[in-house]
Amino acid sequence: MGSGPLIIGAGEAPTLRPQGPVEPPGASSSRRAMRATRALLADRRIAVPFGVIVALVLFAAFVPLVWNQGPDKQDLLHSLQSPSWSHPMGTDQLGRDMFARVATGARISLIVATLVTLAGALLGGLIGLLAGTIGGVSDGIVMRAMDAILAFPPLILAMAVTVGLGIGLNTAAIGVALVSVPWYARLLRSEALRIRSLPFIEASYAIGMKRSRVIARHVIPHMLPVLFIQMAAAFGYAVLGLASLSFVGLGAQVPTPEWGALITEGLSYSLTGQWWISIFPGVGLLITVTAASMLSDRMRDLLDPRGEYARL
Amino acid sequence: MGGVVTRRIVGSLGAIFGATVLAFVILRALPGNPARLIVGPLATPQALASVSHQIGLDKSIFEQYWLFISHFFQGDWGYSYADGESVSALIGERLPATIELAIFSFAITMLFAVAFALLVTYRRRPIADRILRAVSYLGFGTPPFFVALLLLIVFFRSFHVLPGPEGRLGLQSTPPPTVTHMYTLDALIAGKLGTFWSAIEHLILPGVALGLSSFSFIVRLLRANLLEISREPFITVARGKGLRRWTAFRRHALPNAFLPTLTAGGLVLGEFLAGSVLIERVFNWPGIGSLVFDAIVKQDYAVVQTFILLSAVMFVLVNLIVDLLYAVIDPRVRIPSVATA
Repeated sequence: MGSGPLIIGAGEAPTLRPQGPVEPPGASSSRRAMRATRALLADRRIAVPFGVIVALVLFAAFVPLVWNQGPDKQDLLHSLQSPSWSHPMGTDQLGRDMFARVATGARISLIVATLVTLAGALLGGLIGLLAGTIGGVSDGIVMRAMDAILAFPPLILAMAVTVGLGIGLNTAAIGVALVSVPWYARLLRSEALRIRSLPFIEASYAIGMKRSRVIARHVIPHMLPVLFIQMAAAFGYAVLGLASLSFVGLGAQVPTPEWGALITEGLSYSLTGQWWISIFPGVGLLITVTAASMLSDRMRDLLDPRGEYARL
Repeated sequence: MGGVVTRRIVGSLGAIFGATVLAFVILRALPGNPARLIVGPLATPQALASVSHQIGLDKSIFEQYWLFISHFFQGDWGYSYADGESVSALIGERLPATIELAIFSFAITMLFAVAFALLVTYRRRPIADRILRAVSYLGFGTPPFFVALLLLIVFFRSFHVLPGPEGRLGLQSTPPPTVTHMYTLDALIAGKLGTFWSAIEHLILPGVALGLSSFSFIVRLLRANLLEISREPFITVARGKGLRRWTAFRRHALPNAFLPTLTAGGLVLGEFLAGSVLIERVFNWPGIGSLVFDAIVKQDYAVVQTFILLSAVMFVLVNLIVDLLYAVIDPRVRIPSVATA
């Protein structure tokens, strides 16, 4: 009770207790961030998906640099060859090396999905923060607009945006980012509302802090864990969404070796025995998305203040 | 009860309105020539001018929205210049195949999700639980079109146990006389068991591919809710008054744990229509999904636009039906004082 409120009878009113975790005394936000990072790195169930993603990033960054064949180099004499030492993932119908193409595809998927995740988080987070802290009419209007977006099945809306803006990887990325905005906005709005009702925010106002300073110093740092959890999940969805759009022909165009587009290219060969053209990019997708969703789930267990396992 | 139902219906109408405004903004009001989008890059100037006039590009933005919406709800969905048919005729032709697949897939998804969630929660088997977790992670992380491809490679090409991508029926079977447009039902009505089995066989792989990621989602949701509910005091009371464990589970835990699953089920059924774009092409399934896939390749956007609006409207309607079902199942929703509290 050392740092508790010095009001007589406060201890007898359990309903006044904050709903979130009790703030440890004297923990500055940077110390808290360090503690959270250390605990995350020590967790074995986070280490596995995190390691997988690091490996993917290394694969995407270095294989195209050091591998002896380019992703677009055609070699018709060696087309449709099964995996071998010189072509670890075989070659496609134009004799292009699938290993180089899958590695370049990893680069495209990871970079574009990262940008999509950042854009969605920034826009959605800002909307959620403003709606949750300012409230009023603007809150109502903005959240109804978010509901309109949620009235679409996600893939359909991304398709609509891509068709409306013109087909291509860039517009597909905009479509996928737009779809993710309302999820961030809703989540962070409710987070902002929750944090705003915590006693230490009221205390900050009571000692004379300005609203902008309270938001910057207290509300935003407390929103970050939930934002990061959502971003990890959204990253997986972004990879999946981009691949899906490319698969139906709305995203990356021939000859860009995007994973979804590679699967479409290999589709007709898969059933005549040349399985490797579609399988390797598909496995790449599977690994990336599964790792992202495992990462997000475990982060939720550890970091989400509302979760039952919250320890930090 | 009436108040809640009215509120839900009004809410859904609002959502449909919002969705149409959004679709209008995205498809019509953005830079670029929407008429060119509809007729395609190879159209004659006459076709371009006629479509420009037809969709009212020379009118004010509000009139344009009104035309956009009234045409859509009157079933006047434009003309497919690539296929030489009206879009409504094309979609009408293809819709039954998509609906049959969606319903079949939904049925097996829910059936297996409930069965597996019960399996791992009724008797807590850690190994079964772990296997289910792994399967649901993989199912969630695998794009449906890739699942489709893997299934075809394994069950068709390697083991020859299920038919390949040849559409709704085998080559030897002829479609049954049309009653409901669902080949399975029509075959049963006509008493052709061979055709019925062929139709079922052809539904299995696309159905599984379409449903796998939703299965993963629902089974995790239901498992978590079942575990939570089975720890509630009223389950202890039910056991305490002498009910067998299974009866307490079936009568008390499952109905209460099922409500979030019902909501998720609505979302899933609505998404199956969207998912069909990813699946149907792989199986040469003659539904709306492959129609849209081909339309994208042929840059035939009248079809794509209609599909986008149609699935948004169906998505909202399915969710409305789920909301109304909620009121039937959960008495708390029916009593306004509790529902609004």
